[in-house]
Amino acid sequence: MTLVSALGVVLSRNVVHSALFMSGSFLGIAGFFVMLNAPALAAFQVLIYVGAVTVVILFGIMFTQRPQVRRYRTILNRQQWAGFLVAAGVGAFLAYVLYNEDWGSTRPGNGPRDVAAFGRDLLGVSAGSEVFVLLFEVASILLLVAIVAAIVVSRRKIGAGIDRGVEE
Amino acid sequence: MPPVPPQVQQLVEALVATPPLEGYLVVGAIMFAIGAWGALVRRNAVVVFMCVELMINAVNLTLVAFADYLPGAGGLGVSYAVLVIAIAAAEIAVGLAIVLAVFRSRRTVNLDEVNAMRG
Repeated sequence: MTLVSALGVVLSRNVVHSALFMSGSFLGIAGFFVMLNAPALAAFQVLIYVGAVTVVILFGIMFTQRPQVRRYRTILNRQQWAGFLVAAGVGAFLAYVLYNEDWGSTRPGNGPRDVAAFGRDLLGVSAGSEVFVLLFEVASILLLVAIVAAIVVSRRKIGAGIDRGVEE
Repeated sequence: MPPVPPQVQQLVEALVATPPLEGYLVVGAIMFAIGAWGALVRRNAVVVFMCVELMINAVNLTLVAFADYLPGAGGLGVSYAVLVIAIAAAEIAVGLAIVLAVFRSRRTVNLDEVNAMRG
């Protein structure tokens, strides 16, 4: 389901359909996270990606909507077959390497099962995860800077009129 | 209860059994490749952002799979995945702001036509 939805993102002609396929793909990934003993991360995935990012992208689509295109020639650029070859090569190489590598003794269930242990890892309290204190603070600063930058980049210039744009 | 045919029983067992590590890795690799393909060939900038998100999610899946399956990882990959999600959210906010700014000045989100910085 995840992979079919991912293909739908690339191949659907309607941009809104692409966004909905993307949210389906993210839901599939959240299911994988549950299978991998990370239910808290699955909750984050559903909240942030399926909720927030999809809504933000639909917002962007709503602002930049054009008359719908009907043909693949108009949604793909000229490098489509070269791009397909490159991507298929990358995918085949990655799958081959990851499948044939000897990962040693692998068994499931090493992850932090309960949310308390996961929180201690994330805040750098437990042993071996001290670096996450720094990373946590850096991530918070980065989010603040990103919010400010998004507002500054996307606001209208003062006195520029209502969404008139620059005539070329 | 009617007897269950053996094929159905095998199918149920295969679905319930724990998948190997390679399964997650191959799914992540294929999803990364699909995202890369979309980012290379699509013309709409918003769809390109979606494909970048797909690639980020594929890498997250690989990270969490390793964190759960490798004994030496200690489950710390999940914390890294949270940080990756935060940074991806910041990236999507700034990226969509740039798309809006480009659309406002150019009236298009078509990547082939945005060539103002071409040398």
